[in-house]
Amino acid sequence: MASRPTTTVAPAPREAAPPGRRQEPRRRARRLERFAPYLFVAPLLAVFAVFYLWPALVTVLSSFFRWGLLRPWSPVEPDRWRFVGLDNYTTTLTDPSFWNAVLNTAIWLVVFPVLVVAFSLLVSILIWHTTRAGTVLRTVFILPMTISLAAAGVIWSFVYNADPQIGVLNAVLDRLGILDADWRLGPLELHPGAWLSNPGVLHLGVADVRLTNLVLIVPAFWAFTGFGVITITAGLTAVPYELVEAAKVDGANAWQTARRILVPALRRPLVVVGVVSVIFALRTFDIVYVMTGGGPAQDTMVLALLLWQQAFAFLDTPQGGQATAIAVLMSAVLIAGSYPYLRQLIAGRSR
Amino acid sequence: MTAVGRSRWTSLLLYGSLTVLAVIWLVPMLSAVMTSTLPLSQTRQGWWNLSPADLTFGNFARAWHQGLSRYAVNSFIITGLAVALTVSAGSMAAYAYARMAFRLKATTYFLLITTMIVPVQIILIPMLPWFRTLGLNAGPQEYLGIALVHTAFGAGWAIFMLGAFFAAIPEDLLEAARIDGASWFDVFRRIALPLAVPGIVSFAIIDFVFVWNDLLLALTLLDRAHQPLTVGLANLQTPHLAQEDLVSAGTIMAILPPLLLFAALNRFYVRGLFAGATKG
Repeated sequence: MASRPTTTVAPAPREAAPPGRRQEPRRRARRLERFAPYLFVAPLLAVFAVFYLWPALVTVLSSFFRWGLLRPWSPVEPDRWRFVGLDNYTTTLTDPSFWNAVLNTAIWLVVFPVLVVAFSLLVSILIWHTTRAGTVLRTVFILPMTISLAAAGVIWSFVYNADPQIGVLNAVLDRLGILDADWRLGPLELHPGAWLSNPGVLHLGVADVRLTNLVLIVPAFWAFTGFGVITITAGLTAVPYELVEAAKVDGANAWQTARRILVPALRRPLVVVGVVSVIFALRTFDIVYVMTGGGPAQDTMVLALLLWQQAFAFLDTPQGGQATAIAVLMSAVLIAGSYPYLRQLIAGRSR
Repeated sequence: MTAVGRSRWTSLLLYGSLTVLAVIWLVPMLSAVMTSTLPLSQTRQGWWNLSPADLTFGNFARAWHQGLSRYAVNSFIITGLAVALTVSAGSMAAYAYARMAFRLKATTYFLLITTMIVPVQIILIPMLPWFRTLGLNAGPQEYLGIALVHTAFGAGWAIFMLGAFFAAIPEDLLEAARIDGASWFDVFRRIALPLAVPGIVSFAIIDFVFVWNDLLLALTLLDRAHQPLTVGLANLQTPHLAQEDLVSAGTIMAILPPLLLFAALNRFYVRGLFAGATKG
């Protein structure tokens, strides 16, 4: 990593050649310069240590203690906390509401990245094939990216509004005459129109998958797809269009061209979009908080929100330890899951 | 490019499907814009069947006077402070990681990069008591506190993205200045920094959008007097109060600054994300 030949050693022999009057202060300056890299990184590392590393450490440590936010864990007041070992973890792992949140988060983790990758790949390739208005079209799909997820949640609450006089989606269903329909297809139960209350359930025997989660994934997908379009478009600029035309001359159809030429060439951007959207999905908080608050009941509760509620919504109950346990579990899963990607990222940089 | 053997039908299908998708993509935005520019009584009959004569900007004025102005000011203070801190500390550190050798470089780089992946929740819970200990839990210090947390969390992106721009500067240029006797600081300030300005601008935009759009940290760490627009929106968003006019006006105002920034500096923004994407 530190093999770049840019250290202060290189120009030293030249330094010795012209003995001038300014040599003394310059040598001192050179000695000072050995510390230069440390001075460069010091401000950022200081902020990082105080506002990230230490709190993260406290989170991990305090997950082994029983405490609530009104009596916060503090290393200088040992009498205020009680060591409980792995109790917070066992309590969390045997708590049905935790597993409910895990299930809902898992829905996010599967559906969201697939939607983002597939749709942004499709749109990017379609736009790539256009000869006119490409930039305008691309901008339309990138635009929602600048919108905060809180605002996206509010905007989609208008779209989902149950009243067909207000919500555009239900207005369409109303015209089609399927508003408030009640469909059952085997294990699948559908109630089009009741978007945020109970749009449907998939009964899987061991667990019921609430389709309300899918309703919440759509706004996140809408807001995030721009990232996929930008990234995949960046990858497409490296693909020579002649290659596609040659394939066409050889009689390949659009699907074959996309599968055999474009997707292999886009491996790296696709991995980037996939990994980043998995990270995004596991962190999901804003949209759920704004649109349903985890409800109705616990239908849309995700891990990030469950943890937040346990820590901050019930200040007087000593569940702070359990909240930190969830935070530690989430981070561990993310770091372990994205470690190969992380290593690749760092290796690519320090070459 | 010349489309070999592309029939009229293929073209029609291509543009037709893209147009349909683009229109679907714009409907939610249109829905919010229309709701914000119509009186509530009109919105309740469906914004899609109203005449342009009903348009009004009254909702914006009312939302602004009913407390949104304070949220907006807070948003600008927090975002400005956080971006300034992240860009200044971040560009120096990114330069060192891209161009210098020092001890613990690999280890600290890895730790900083983890901020791109680890969820905010890992630091969130002990943060409130920690702010109290540091005296950042009341008054204008709250702005500084949350800006510093954003700086810590932007650290990974900063050294990753800005590092790419510093690494792209030709070695000869920096080496020549070094041989002429310029100190590291001079090389950084007079040569590297001016060359990296496009990169710094694109990073600043992305960081601005990121900080401006944060809900979780602001919701958790700030009291009512210091909360930004995102929290204001979340507070307004109570479906039973039937104040869609105010909520939509607030939403439009909240998304406007990043959107305008994006429109004005689109080139930089996309370039910054390109750099992250292709060099990652």
